[in-house]
Amino acid sequence: MTLSRRDFLKLGTLVTASAALSSCAPVYRKLAGSLPAVPWTALGANDFLALNRLTFGPRVEERARFVEIGLKAWIEEQLDFDSIHDFDCEIQLAPFKTLKMDANELEGISNGLFDNYDRETVPNELRQATLLRQLYSKRQLYEVMVEFWSDHFNIFIEKGNEFFLKTVDDREVIRKHAFGSFRDLVWASAHSPAMMVYLDNQANEKSHPNENYARELMELHTLGVDGGYTQQDVMELARCLTGWNVKEHFWLGDFVFKEDLHDTGVKKVLNMPVPHSGILEAEQVIETLCAHPSTAHFISSKLARRFLADEPPHEIVEKAAKIFLDTKGDIKSVLRVILLDGLALAQPKYKRPANFVLSSLRMLNVETDAAALHDHLLRMGQLYFNWPTPDGYPDRSEAWQGNLMPRWQFAFELIRNEIKGTKHNLAALLDVSSAGILQDDVDSLASLLLGAPLDRLTSDGLIDSVREAGATDEETLHIIAAGLIASPAFQWR
Amino acid sequence: MLTQTLPAWMPRLSFAPTDTAPRGDTLVVVFLRGAADVLNMVVPHGEDAYYQLRPSLGIARPDDSGAKKEDRAVDLDGFFGFHPGLRSLLDVWQSRQLAIIHACGAPDESRSHFKAMELMERGVDDERGPASGWIGRHLATLNTGNSSPLRAVGMGTRPQRSLSGSVPVSALRSIADFHLGGDPRALQQMRAALETVYTGDVLGQDTLSIMDTLQTLDPLTYTSSHNAKYPDSEFGLALKQTAMLIKAQVGLEVSAIDLGGWDTHFAQGSANGQMPNLMKDLADGLAAFHADMLDHMNQLTTVTMSEFGRRASENGSLGTDHGHGSMMMVMGGNVDGGKVHGRWPGLQEGQLIGPGDLAVTTDYRDVLSEILTRRLNNPATNEVFPEYQPAPLNILK
Repeated sequence: MTLSRRDFLKLGTLVTASAALSSCAPVYRKLAGSLPAVPWTALGANDFLALNRLTFGPRVEERARFVEIGLKAWIEEQLDFDSIHDFDCEIQLAPFKTLKMDANELEGISNGLFDNYDRETVPNELRQATLLRQLYSKRQLYEVMVEFWSDHFNIFIEKGNEFFLKTVDDREVIRKHAFGSFRDLVWASAHSPAMMVYLDNQANEKSHPNENYARELMELHTLGVDGGYTQQDVMELARCLTGWNVKEHFWLGDFVFKEDLHDTGVKKVLNMPVPHSGILEAEQVIETLCAHPSTAHFISSKLARRFLADEPPHEIVEKAAKIFLDTKGDIKSVLRVILLDGLALAQPKYKRPANFVLSSLRMLNVETDAAALHDHLLRMGQLYFNWPTPDGYPDRSEAWQGNLMPRWQFAFELIRNEIKGTKHNLAALLDVSSAGILQDDVDSLASLLLGAPLDRLTSDGLIDSVREAGATDEETLHIIAAGLIASPAFQWR
Repeated sequence: MLTQTLPAWMPRLSFAPTDTAPRGDTLVVVFLRGAADVLNMVVPHGEDAYYQLRPSLGIARPDDSGAKKEDRAVDLDGFFGFHPGLRSLLDVWQSRQLAIIHACGAPDESRSHFKAMELMERGVDDERGPASGWIGRHLATLNTGNSSPLRAVGMGTRPQRSLSGSVPVSALRSIADFHLGGDPRALQQMRAALETVYTGDVLGQDTLSIMDTLQTLDPLTYTSSHNAKYPDSEFGLALKQTAMLIKAQVGLEVSAIDLGGWDTHFAQGSANGQMPNLMKDLADGLAAFHADMLDHMNQLTTVTMSEFGRRASENGSLGTDHGHGSMMMVMGGNVDGGKVHGRWPGLQEGQLIGPGDLAVTTDYRDVLSEILTRRLNNPATNEVFPEYQPAPLNILK
């Protein structure tokens, strides 16, 4: 059974989406950037919202798959991310050789003549790769979690040697454990040279402890600021962490424990005596922190805030925290509670800039090499790995409202195809073949971007206002496409 | 061409209803993010303990012939001295338009940047207080009859926490960035679409109004008054644009500006280096702003603040860890300046608090409340700072 897009729209709900899609199974294996092989239909508000939380903005094929198998199965498919073939995305990443290098190699290729460092190439490849993964990867929920943990274990790429260390942290800490156990994530982060450098632990020595990492490990990474630790605990944990350091010569950039810098005295953290045992001291505290009820609650509420609402439902957070403790911080188990029990209770969230950019690119099937998009993200306030303080980019709606102009600029430049290396093909996407049915195209755009067509009054008003400003039909369609991306409705997910 | 119609809020500026409060000063709030090491900014060179606590980082006494002259503190009153990086503020100090409040800060002792900033920007003692910011509540409690979208501006990509509240505020990184591109004809079409999709949406309509207003201003061709030279930095640009908005009379009442990078755990520098460079940016910016705005100084108050101070003793990484007591500066035409206000608690053992930190003898809300009541015509400090009873220090006339 084949339906033209227009027939499909006219038939509307008479044809169920799954019936229309049953003959198009292989579409999920299409090459990135090629045209969607399936038509799309309006989604119910709940389904559209769910997909917007589970992805960086649903592509046509993802909508189809979701309608076909339902929320629960869709989430399970995404959680089993290893079984999702991601060949198209890998092709996109092939040019970025630095992604697979260790710190020593990265330092080597950055280090030019006379120690004149190239501080641009490595971070730019990481930023570009991050955007391309969010855009092209079929492992969308995994990428959403990678973004979440990148904020949680935030590292500012402009500080010191982070320009090459962050690439290793991104691969070995964040991406490696994004769907694993929270304990392993904290463990890896604590042993990550990038984190040591970012939070000054390489300067934490027995004769003069530096509290920076010790504090944030408890305040931001595990217990939360009200998680029940004291200034004394910070100072004692800092002593446990003395000697956790980064190699400076052979195998530069690797983690090292420097026994001679370690404070061998007796410590006490969270009322727990820590006997002298070198590197094991802080490792013992990390185990305690990861299994602490405050940590379970703090992480669950942050996850619920990301997926559900700025003020997430109390009962979901409690339930997720319990599962967190029961499963020793199994991230997938906690996610199942938050998503399966929680999505029905979700409240509107204001799109953060990356989400705004990615959703417009994905929904309109835009192709890009990502290079020129970083400046847009910078102006919107969310250039990747560019948040200076360790709390990560804010997740509450109020932090992002009130800076509309750069979003509007992006919307219009995108639709005018003025962004270098970035190209849409609206005409092909909308299959503009018949003159005089601008209305259908506007419906189609609204369905892609907002889930369902606008009501007649709104869309007529929009078309009329742009036409009155002197636009031809083709111009009108483009202005409206940009106008929808710029619209208040599209700023929310 | 797009017609240059007056934004909708314009007439209300000229014909403010009579029951509104008269407009007070424009307020500029500079937040030094990361907890500035104030002991190396306004140096207590009269205290021997300072030099014992800071053998490497300490700034030499003004009369210390063992140090190069340009590395010594610049004496202010025989006891305190400016770090040499703040030297460009000396003229303002001598003209008595700059006051310093030392050992000033918040009661919070979490020593957490985020908690301390959050509480300070909200103007509350603990989590239970209102979620809005203190400037947001100031705007909400003072009806000046001013509905300009530029009534309160956060310089940067997003509005500061202190601005949040029921009154819409704007984030502004650069006046020059504020255009949609395209030719005039396309611009008209884009504007039409935006007008339609943002019908009834306050933020969107505000943004359209700002677009119209800012089309007439250009920081590149701006000529400052009195040969003021702003530093070529984000901070300098933020101050310059604040000056432009004030002079353009677009209804600006509050400008919030951040200067980050003060979290100096590591190699902060003594007379020169990382933190001294920041101080120079701060001082050069404020001095230029003062010169540029000299003719407006009677209607302008600028205040600097930071979430807390740093440990009195230096750490072993030639930096300083999180501490407690901080310092504020107030600049303006009606300041009792050339004077260090507040009680100095001292740096000797028994005078320091917690792990060895400068004590707080003046609550930051005492300073802000005085600015609100005496300069901004807002008597509702009990709403701006709930559950706090401010005690004025007579920093302002």
